[in-house]
Amino acid sequence: MPIKLLLRKQEYLLEEKSIQVKQAFQQLNLSPEAHLLVRNGELLNENDWLRDGDEIKIVPVISGGSSA
Amino acid sequence: MTSIKCRSCAERAAIRMRQHRLSLCKDHYIEWFIEQTERAVKKYRMFTRQERILVAVSGGKDSLALWDVLWKLEYQADGLYINLGIAGEDNYSDESERFAREFAEERGLTLKVVNVAEMYGETIPQISRRAHRGRFKPCSTCGMVKRHEMNRVARDLGYPVLATAHNLDDEAAILFGNVMMWQTDLLARQSPVLEESGGFVRKVKPFVRFYERETAAYTLLRGIPYIEEECPHAEGSKQLQNKALINKMEEEQPGLKLAFYVGFLNAKEQGAFSGLSEAEKEVVLTPCPNCGQPTTNSGLCAFCRMVKPA
Repeated sequence: MPIKLLLRKQEYLLEEKSIQVKQAFQQLNLSPEAHLLVRNGELLNENDWLRDGDEIKIVPVISGGSSA
Repeated sequence: MTSIKCRSCAERAAIRMRQHRLSLCKDHYIEWFIEQTERAVKKYRMFTRQERILVAVSGGKDSLALWDVLWKLEYQADGLYINLGIAGEDNYSDESERFAREFAEERGLTLKVVNVAEMYGETIPQISRRAHRGRFKPCSTCGMVKRHEMNRVARDLGYPVLATAHNLDDEAAILFGNVMMWQTDLLARQSPVLEESGGFVRKVKPFVRFYERETAAYTLLRGIPYIEEECPHAEGSKQLQNKALINKMEEEQPGLKLAFYVGFLNAKEQGAFSGLSEAEKEVVLTPCPNCGQPTTNSGLCAFCRMVKPA
């Protein structure tokens, strides 16, 4: 079972048995400053491990439009 | 690689903040975040517990986090939601209003709602198209309408303070943009607090010392539901481009973003922009003959020239 990551409506699959959060960011070419990862409601830090079968939510944290 | 532990209790850390060399678990992070907000409120003399505060809420993570923290700190904070009439694929404005309303109801807080289309007969995209303001996007119209309405509601309802949830990423992106264009007048005005003057209520930004990922982490860890969709008009905005550039540098040099913004505030405090601030004081503001809000124009203010009352 791959590691499944969901960013809004976009799904990413990682085939590794396990991978650290910071490496996952690199593989997906996502900025760790601009995203947080959540597994079963738990916020993950950069050294936490993702394992096969995990379903991870990628939360984009940067927003911007007009500066009111 | 070893796991990251909370500095306070040695539990697994929920977040690591490299610029502070600080990692914290869920409970200690929430505690730290609330304390840091209180420190910023006091450091910049934003408001007191005796003052009524109007918090501008969009239904997004930052503004709901701000309202939540001020509520937990027992400030007199009411919310203001402005429905801009932005639809998009996910009915953006109505959905974000729902999040703001639910947040207020759950906590028994007061939320004032302004619906732009009901008040002025047109949504923000419609006003923008008719007025030909902004080349391809309604963002400048949106910013102007929000600024006008926030000040109007605060004044009409007797709130001396208007709080917005601008974070350090917002401020660094604005600063970067102003420096790139050498907009010295805007550099002189950029501040965590804009004092009340000439018909404008005091504007404060209690989250200016937090990175955007920190406000998001607070909202997630507190379990606050918020609108996750981005405004459909935000894609490709200059502010997002500036944030992406700054974050690229931050990844290589942790703390750069904080140093950039705090260095600016320190330089300002030491008088680096004092000549410019003095020049700004000489700008004459007069009440708009239609809405009564301050304007530098001799006739109608820019808002009244653009918006037709319903």
